[in-house]
This record gives sequence, structure tokens and C-alpha cells, in this order.
Amino acid sequence: MAVSSVAGEALPPVATPARVVSPWNPANAVTASRFLTLPPFFWAVDHGYRQWATLFMLVCGLLDKVDGLAARVFDCRSPFGEVFDAITDGICYGFGLIVVAAYGWAPPIAVALVIGLGLANTGMRFVYASRAGRTVNYKSYAMERIVGYTGYLIGFATGGMEVSLFFWAFVPIMTIIILHDAKRMLVDPIPPPKAA
Amino acid sequence: MNIVSDEVFRWFLTLAVGVVAGIWFILDARALFRTFGQPTTPHLSDRRFGYMMGILIGAVGVIGTLRYQHVF
Repeated sequence: MAVSSVAGEALPPVATPARVVSPWNPANAVTASRFLTLPPFFWAVDHGYRQWATLFMLVCGLLDKVDGLAARVFDCRSPFGEVFDAITDGICYGFGLIVVAAYGWAPPIAVALVIGLGLANTGMRFVYASRAGRTVNYKSYAMERIVGYTGYLIGFATGGMEVSLFFWAFVPIMTIIILHDAKRMLVDPIPPPKAA
Repeated sequence: MNIVSDEVFRWFLTLAVGVVAGIWFILDARALFRTFGQPTTPHLSDRRFGYMMGILIGAVGVIGTLRYQHVF
């Protein structure tokens, strides 16, 4: 809406500056704290303490839920935070999967496929952000669900719970989801950014 | 070095996986059912696909839990 000056001529509308959220916020701190669970997780696997390993991965997964809550409570949601969260997911779960495979707690071929699919997904997310020309996180209902499954995968390995079934069932489901999402990330038009 | 007994840990895993997978299956099945009849948009198609994958993952979780408990 144009604003009138004292002299009566119309002034251009005043643009509202986009709200800038510092990357040093409570939600990102919670996200970063997930890395603290990895050394004790490795220690537990190395010593054969399955219950402790499960506990540390459980804490890592719970913190993933808490960071979203912190972002809402402290009103510090940002595109950077979403991407940082996704990268942290990849690092934590990738590390966990490699460790359980290395110690023979999970089938190595299935783990290699899971990590390969995860890397392919990460690469497509970068292409998507590159196409958008800004820091943007690709959102997919199916991918949200498979990420939840990924967190559980490590727990199946540390708990010794139907490891082969859960790992080998994961691979085709993840493949279907990545094929589905590939078109949206690489070909389909990108939605415009939300107004501040 | 255990936190709890093996039996308690076994039941913890059973509940943590079986209950979550079962609830996941039901919620996504209900959400998918509710999308029927709505005009199809790219966003709705993505939601439907996500719900279908959620149902599949939930079913895998329930089956795995039953196998873990030697139900079959």
C-alpha cells in the first residue's frame, strides 16, 4: 500500500526486511549436541555393550525431535537450521551404520546400499538447492518416514532384533522413495520461498 | 555390562518397535483414507505417497516384532 508524504505525493511501499535468524540459536545447539552421542556409542559397540549402544543411539534420535521443538519454542526456525538438521541426520546415522557393520552387527552389503542411497539423496538435495539458488531443504512426506526408519535401523543392529529382515526390507523401500523424489528434486519446478 | 536384564531389554525393544510401528501403520492408513475424494494436486500426491510408504514401513515393523517374539 502506498504511503502519502507531507507534500501529498505517493511514496513507494515500505518493504518489510526478512527476519534474520542467527545460526547460533538453541535449536541448532540441540542439533549439534547430537554429535556428542557418537563417541560413547562407538565405545559401547567396541566393548560389546549392546544396551548402552542402543541407549546412546536412542538419545541421538530423541535429540532430533527436541531440536524441532526448541525451534518452535524459541521461534528460531531457519532454512539453515533445516539443512543443518538434515546433514546431522546423515552424519550421525551414517556413522552409526558404518560402526555396526564394521563390528558385524549388521549385514555389510545392506549397510553399503543404505549409505549409497543416502549419499545419492544428499547429492540430489544439493542439486535442488543449487537449482533454487538459496539454502533450501527439500521436503518429502515419504523421506520423513524413511529417515525415522533409518534411526531405528541402528537400534535393530545394536539390539540384535531381526537384523536381516529390517535391513533388507529397508533397501527396496528407500530405493522406491528416492526414485519418486528424484523427479521432484531434479526436474519439477521449485516452489517460491515463503514470505517473511 | 547391562543396564537392565536381557528379558527387560527384549520387551523394551518389542514395545519400542511394535507399538510405534503399529500406531504408525494405523495413523498413516487413516490419513491416506482421508485424502480419498480430495482434488489431486502435486502436494496431495506427495502426501499420499508418503502415507503409503508409512503404511509399508509400519507393516514391516509389526511383522519384524512378531518374528522377534517367535509368533511366526
